[in-house]
Amino acid sequence: MTARAGEATPARAPAAAQESLQGHYAGFASRFLAFAVDVVVITVVAILVLAAINFVASILTGRSSNFNRSDTWVVIAYLAWGFIYFVQGWGLNGRTVGMALFGLQVLTDEGGDISGWRAVGRTLALPLSFLILCLGFLGILLGDRRRALHDVIAGTVVVYAWDARAARLRYLAQGSSPGPSAPSAPVPAPPPALPGSPSSPG
Amino acid sequence: MEARAQVIAERVLTLVVNSLDLNAIIARIDLNAVLSRVDIEEPIDRIQINEVLARVDLNSLLARVDLNAVVERVDVEEPIDRIQINEVLDRIDLNGLLDRVDLNQVIAKVDMDAVLDRVDINALAQRLDVEALVEHTDLGAVIARSSSGIASGLFDVIRNRTIALDEALARGVARLRRRPYTGPPGPPLALQDGAGS
Repeated sequence: MTARAGEATPARAPAAAQESLQGHYAGFASRFLAFAVDVVVITVVAILVLAAINFVASILTGRSSNFNRSDTWVVIAYLAWGFIYFVQGWGLNGRTVGMALFGLQVLTDEGGDISGWRAVGRTLALPLSFLILCLGFLGILLGDRRRALHDVIAGTVVVYAWDARAARLRYLAQGSSPGPSAPSAPVPAPPPALPGSPSSPG
Repeated sequence: MEARAQVIAERVLTLVVNSLDLNAIIARIDLNAVLSRVDIEEPIDRIQINEVLARVDLNSLLARVDLNAVVERVDVEEPIDRIQINEVLDRIDLNGLLDRVDLNQVIAKVDMDAVLDRVDINALAQRLDVEALVEHTDLGAVIARSSSGIASGLFDVIRNRTIALDEALARGVARLRRRPYTGPPGPPLALQDGAGS
């Protein structure tokens, strides 16, 4: 681990997220985008499955089947699939696909892993945040712990489960990695600075 | 004349060092008391460390010192806390120094377990400039080889952008409510001991 004498010093990476917000309560944009990704995942999977069912049904019956979203059973199946998706994601890992993408995790309000039953409760309470004109989400913007209505009901919080400092080190490592082991594609732009971040908890 | 004086001084220095019983001298010194009275930063700044180290036969010196006895008597934490380690390391030609030392011989004489037991590694690690270490040493290449590369880099950027958006929204809301914004709240109680680590 010696300094490489004689090598040109790589250009200093632009200012980036020096502080890790890991464990801090997640904000509105991250949560909204994660939920949007989840809705896309649920819908795409549902459409693919529906197309497969139509295809198989047309082969088996010899008639053209056309289950679509105007069919009550399709809507019920779609909601059930969404329920399973969220319960399975939150209950097993504390995160869905969208939350994993944006580095978020659901925990109990004390900070522990949530149980399967709490995941069920959170999933059932989620529609309530929408049903009152989406006012249930105001708590994310205004509350001290950034909790939506379904978080309060289920006793959960959503935190950043992503280590920005480790990401920063990965970026620097890629910049210093020579030869064939370096990534062949250009390294993406460095993480931006996080103005106003408090000192890192650890 | 000056060169001759330099030669004589070095000769005398060698003779004096060789004639000393270093262990006996060290045994008579209250090292902790001495260290506590020294402004460590000031002499370190004034010394041309590399020149001094170049003139000392480190191997013969180290061979004559009972390192375990010395280490046992020193409060390791206290002087380390007072030294700006990164500044000192910047001034030392470590490669040149290490080339001259038989490290195996030195390490063989030290009871590493006893030393490490007395050092707060976590506190020490927090004072290192890890970013500079990763950026300028082979450690960066090791990390790059072990990480998944472009995909994780893309995720990092996406996450950072959304966190920046979170913060901008939160600051805007705080401004509307005429409240000071001090950064994202948290973490939950159970995470407060180990969060961010």
